[in-house]
Amino acid sequence: MRRSSTRKTGPQNPAASANTPAADLYRSASSKAIIKELERIDQFFNSYADKSSGLIDPEGIEILCSDLGVDHTDVRILMLAWKMKAERQGYFTQEEWRRGLKALRADTISKLKKALSDLEKEVERPQNFLDFYSYAFRYCLTEEKQKSLDIESICVLLDLVLGAHYRLQIDSLTEFLKNQNDYKVINMDQWMNFLRFCQEINFPDLSNYDSDHAWPLILDNFVEWMRGKQD
Amino acid sequence: MSTQKRRNFKIEAFKHRVELDPKYAEKTWKVLEHAIQEIYNHNASGLSFEELYRNAYNMVLHKYGEKLYSGLVTTMTWHLKEISKIIEAAQGGLFLEELNRKWGEHNKALQMIRDILMYMDRTFVPSNHKTPVHELGLNLWRDNIIHSSKIQTRLLYTLLELVHRERTGEVINRGLMRNIIKMLMDLGASVYQEDFEKPFLEVSANFYSVESQQFIECCDCGEYLKKAERRLNEEMERVSHYLDAKSESKITNVVEREMIANHMQRLVHMENSGLVNMLIDDKYEDLARMYSLFRRVPDGLSTIRDVMTSHLRDTGKQLVTDPERLKDPVDFVQRLLDEKDKHDKIIHLAFNNDKTFQNALNSSFEYFINLNPRSPEFISLFVDDKLRKGLKGVSEEDVEVVLDKVMMLFRYLQEKDVFEKYYKQHLAKRLLSGKTVSDDAERSLIVKLKTECGYQFTSKLEGMFTDMKTSQDTMQGFYASQSPETSADSPTLAVQVLTTGSWPTQPTTTCNLPAEILGVCEKFRTYYLGTHTGRRLSWQTNMGTADLKATFGKGQKHELNVSTYQMCILMLFNSSDRLNYREIEQATEIPASDLKRCLQSLACVKGKNVLRKEPMSKDIGEDDVFFFNDKFSSKFYKVKIGTVVAQKESEPEKQETRQRVEEDRKPQIEAAIVRIMKSRRVLDHNNIVAEVTKQLQSRFLPNPVVIKKRIESLIEREFLERDKVDRKLYRYLA
Repeated sequence: MRRSSTRKTGPQNPAASANTPAADLYRSASSKAIIKELERIDQFFNSYADKSSGLIDPEGIEILCSDLGVDHTDVRILMLAWKMKAERQGYFTQEEWRRGLKALRADTISKLKKALSDLEKEVERPQNFLDFYSYAFRYCLTEEKQKSLDIESICVLLDLVLGAHYRLQIDSLTEFLKNQNDYKVINMDQWMNFLRFCQEINFPDLSNYDSDHAWPLILDNFVEWMRGKQD
Repeated sequence: MSTQKRRNFKIEAFKHRVELDPKYAEKTWKVLEHAIQEIYNHNASGLSFEELYRNAYNMVLHKYGEKLYSGLVTTMTWHLKEISKIIEAAQGGLFLEELNRKWGEHNKALQMIRDILMYMDRTFVPSNHKTPVHELGLNLWRDNIIHSSKIQTRLLYTLLELVHRERTGEVINRGLMRNIIKMLMDLGASVYQEDFEKPFLEVSANFYSVESQQFIECCDCGEYLKKAERRLNEEMERVSHYLDAKSESKITNVVEREMIANHMQRLVHMENSGLVNMLIDDKYEDLARMYSLFRRVPDGLSTIRDVMTSHLRDTGKQLVTDPERLKDPVDFVQRLLDEKDKHDKIIHLAFNNDKTFQNALNSSFEYFINLNPRSPEFISLFVDDKLRKGLKGVSEEDVEVVLDKVMMLFRYLQEKDVFEKYYKQHLAKRLLSGKTVSDDAERSLIVKLKTECGYQFTSKLEGMFTDMKTSQDTMQGFYASQSPETSADSPTLAVQVLTTGSWPTQPTTTCNLPAEILGVCEKFRTYYLGTHTGRRLSWQTNMGTADLKATFGKGQKHELNVSTYQMCILMLFNSSDRLNYREIEQATEIPASDLKRCLQSLACVKGKNVLRKEPMSKDIGEDDVFFFNDKFSSKFYKVKIGTVVAQKESEPEKQETRQRVEEDRKPQIEAAIVRIMKSRRVLDHNNIVAEVTKQLQSRFLPNPVVIKKRIESLIEREFLERDKVDRKLYRYLA
């Protein structure tokens, strides 16, 4: 609460400084405005950052989430992390924060709140989505040299990033993943092919699935399981 | 110019009028006509050929050729009509003879007439596009005799009747037949075909259709084929005796169709006597007959081949999946070899060494041998048995024969790497226990494997032989280096130094060796490491053997041939007469399963029970107590105490070998994928699977699912990637 109160006094109206009419003054004024904005973004950062580490840590993120009025497991937080290109799960560095919030042009909690819905639309664009999807996997790799995620996490993550668009597929896939014993972890290749599967394969009839194509074996197994269930 | 005279020179032919009797032509023709009549009446002897020839010549010369020619036609026709009446009048069997005689006469007459009319034949006939005399004579014969309504059908009927009678076993006048048929052929190919051959073939088809139906109802397959073969030969003989040679293929086609092609399926599947029974009972003659008959008809051989193949597959499958057979691996393989020999012999004796049949045999064997996953193990066990004892007293050539046969079975194996695994294990046991009978035979087989599968396959096996040789030298060196007095009283040691990797050694904990042995072992270690620096020696106590001298209760001495483990156990009884299981286990630290097996063979085998056990039972319990058996006796000085070995692998051992094989395959599959992708850069899934399979099939048959897993592993390690656009493709990442 202390942090949020400092934040509330912090923001100033940037429109006032942008109002300068003189043309030659405009450039310096706008660059001044940018500097001002950066300062506000930093201020915004500091209001959540842990003083000793200089990072927003999981605790800070939780407070940010409650200020934004979203759950910390909400997909929009993952999108925000993607926008910042955050490297470590549960932490935002100042650099990442600047990168993300500058791009979103958000220097206050209310602006950020608004920006989130725009961000959602931005992620929806196909090229962005592929990047976001693969980012989601990498973001969850917390250990050094970790290359795969356990089934439990994968199911949560699938639900989070694909659940809204491919409800049927994700329900079946998570049911399958939880009921098989061949795979304990999922790697990047398999993860990427889940998306491709959702995008390309007719569901639930699976009519255009061909196991002679270069699908990973886990999807062959999934399809076999699906077909066995349908009969 | 116009005044110029045109002069025409004319040369006129010398005109001299030949006075000719107006009745000349008529008169001359009368002479000739009379002559023709006399010829037909067999009175030609009184005729003057010269005079008649001149008359005919003159008639043509005086442009009476037309009259001469038409006169000939009329008069010959008249004569033939008369002849026709005579032939018609002939009764029954005389009909053909009359026809034949008249035909002969007509030919003779025709010859004479043609000679008389030679000049006409040479000048008038060609320039007026008439039919030459001889041909004319044949045509007239045809039209007036053969095609006369009363003769045509009678002739055909008579001929067919004769053929029929001959087919039913009567003897007919073949000479007469031949003459008549020859006549038809002389009258032209179309006459022969229309007036005889076609109806003949039709009647034959009917005859054989009916007959084959009768035969198939009452004969077994072999008998039927004999009859069919006889019929076929009869027809061919018939053609050679009195029909046109061109008819042979036609009539044999009829017989083949009616007697073979139409009944083929029924014949091969005939109950109790069909193809399968012939194969089972080695009926070489019947099979050869079937082969030679069936090859004549379309799909005939493939019918035999298909039935043979499915029979082979069925019996083979039964053989390799019969749980009874699995109990005795040597017998199992011997049966396979017998089966192969049997069918090789059939193909050789009955099927003309037909390549397609050999291929069918091979593919059938390949099919069923691989149905049993233990085939590689069993084949190796068979070789083991042969090389241990089976080849004693067998000549070198016979050894080669056996080994060649084994190699043939080996070729059918899809999992050659599994065979290699077992072969290595069995070879190791043979070499280390000194059980191999013939070094030449061992090496001969290795050479065969090398030719079949390449250097890679046998390099480790060869390494094992080298180790054996080197060890001999090492031991000589070792004893040469020891002073005689120090080694005089200690046990003799023979060490085989095995290169790690070449031998199927498993990491085992060395058991506790008796102090006496330990001393020599240490000496050897010092000696060996002194000559070979940087090496490590570990004792494989599970693989060695020992000879022990033992004295029993009444002072009888025996030499006991035992395994290293057994030696360790027996040595304990030097200092104690009674030991329980726990004490033995603690003192030796032999792994429990091995220990139990050793104790079993020391205490439970009749005639070899140098130990006594309480309670007396077949199996070893952990509370059992063991005693030195001082009442032990044996007829032999040397007593060999075998370990109760599981000759075949037990289920868990099998699983373990299987797993090791699978593990060994992974890098091979990956290497193949990388090789392929390195050269192709981009390739679709199916083709990778196909090419990997092709590359590896000389060693084993990779499972497509396993290949897919390896591909995924390579993707994960970034050797490959999936194509971003085309779902089928993989790309090589350099």
